[in-house]
Amino acid sequence: MKLRRIDFYLDWPLSIKITNLRKFIIANLVKKGSVIRWSIVDIKASVESPNKRKIRINAVLTDSINY
Amino acid sequence: MAISPTMFIIPTGIGCEIGGYAGDALPAAKLLASASGCLITHPNVMNGGSLSEKNKDIFYVEGYSLDRFVKGEIGLKSVKQQKIGIIFDSSIEHEIFMRHLQVADACVATLGIDVDSYVLTKKPLGIVFDTESKGVSGGLIENPDSLIEAGERLIDKGITAIAIVAKFPDELDSIQINAYREGKGVDPIAGVEALISHLISKFLKVPCAHAPALSPIVLKENLDPRAAAEEIGYTFLPSVLIGLSKAPNLIDLDDKTSDLTIHPSNLETIVVPSGALGGEGVLAGIERGLNIIAVKNENILNLDNLNFNYPKLIEVENYFEAAGLILAMREGINPKSIRRPLNNIQHLDFKN
Repeated sequence: MKLRRIDFYLDWPLSIKITNLRKFIIANLVKKGSVIRWSIVDIKASVESPNKRKIRINAVLTDSINY
Repeated sequence: MAISPTMFIIPTGIGCEIGGYAGDALPAAKLLASASGCLITHPNVMNGGSLSEKNKDIFYVEGYSLDRFVKGEIGLKSVKQQKIGIIFDSSIEHEIFMRHLQVADACVATLGIDVDSYVLTKKPLGIVFDTESKGVSGGLIENPDSLIEAGERLIDKGITAIAIVAKFPDELDSIQINAYREGKGVDPIAGVEALISHLISKFLKVPCAHAPALSPIVLKENLDPRAAAEEIGYTFLPSVLIGLSKAPNLIDLDDKTSDLTIHPSNLETIVVPSGALGGEGVLAGIERGLNIIAVKNENILNLDNLNFNYPKLIEVENYFEAAGLILAMREGINPKSIRRPLNNIQHLDFKN
């Protein structure tokens, strides 16, 4: 098993309510690996659209699903 | 009086003014436990190096499992005592290793804790530091398989809770360490500590907590009191063993054979520093419609409710106010009734 840290911005469409935000983030994270640890470290307005925000996420992932 | 199960979160490695040091949120935890009658919190809140306390109203749950609880994946079951095993990083020097073994023996002899056995990892864990985005404490370990394998060995021998002691590099950034000891910075090792315990929780699903093995450091006279608990003794292991000794069992909700002491549906409130709302536990609490009490507690993040606009979030000035709010909720007193100005009740029509 190898661990890797990722730091990336995710577009948060405002059509996704705060009560669904966690699942929205997880759905995007699991595409990148098995999640060990994550959190939002910043949120800012999107310059591209008033209907979305940019969420900065920091996470540690592993590619292993053997356990 | 009925209890009001409350979760108390202080995220690790973000430099919180209260709770960002060595168990310096423990007094606040005791206050919130007294107000709620049932507080679920994590090692970063409770562990003060050599200092900690057992409290019948506090449930000690590692962060990854804490998040699973809020998500409704597991319940908690009280135990009389856990049978603790220790994983030691095989790169720990002999003298420091012996100091840790003596601490474990002392906890058996003096506190009556059941520390049963230990195992050395087959390979050094290989701690690698890395300051994450926004200055959050972070890092990785090079050999996570060795950690999991050692934990599996303990569980095979009947261990029910795991303490992990990892060797941290001597070449830690002295500027960062000194800033932390003076109460001015982020705990530089906290992020990796959380990662290590999260790995055990994720893959082995038992109560666990981590204590770092560090070489002795020179005396510092202008030490911040909040970091002082880490200057006592040779190890940080006592608080971990005290916490784990009565940590609740983590019961998968699919397991219908076990009675639970606290079901996730019992949870009413999460207390968290304002500005630190971006963790999975808080977001899962929002998802479930829980009360969120955001306490002013300065840290390096700035994620407040302006970003979320969650209607059931209440911002308070300090933990005294948070405790009063929890007590009001516990007693069924509308918090609005105690604040001024007091608005008239709303008129609802049938238009919206």
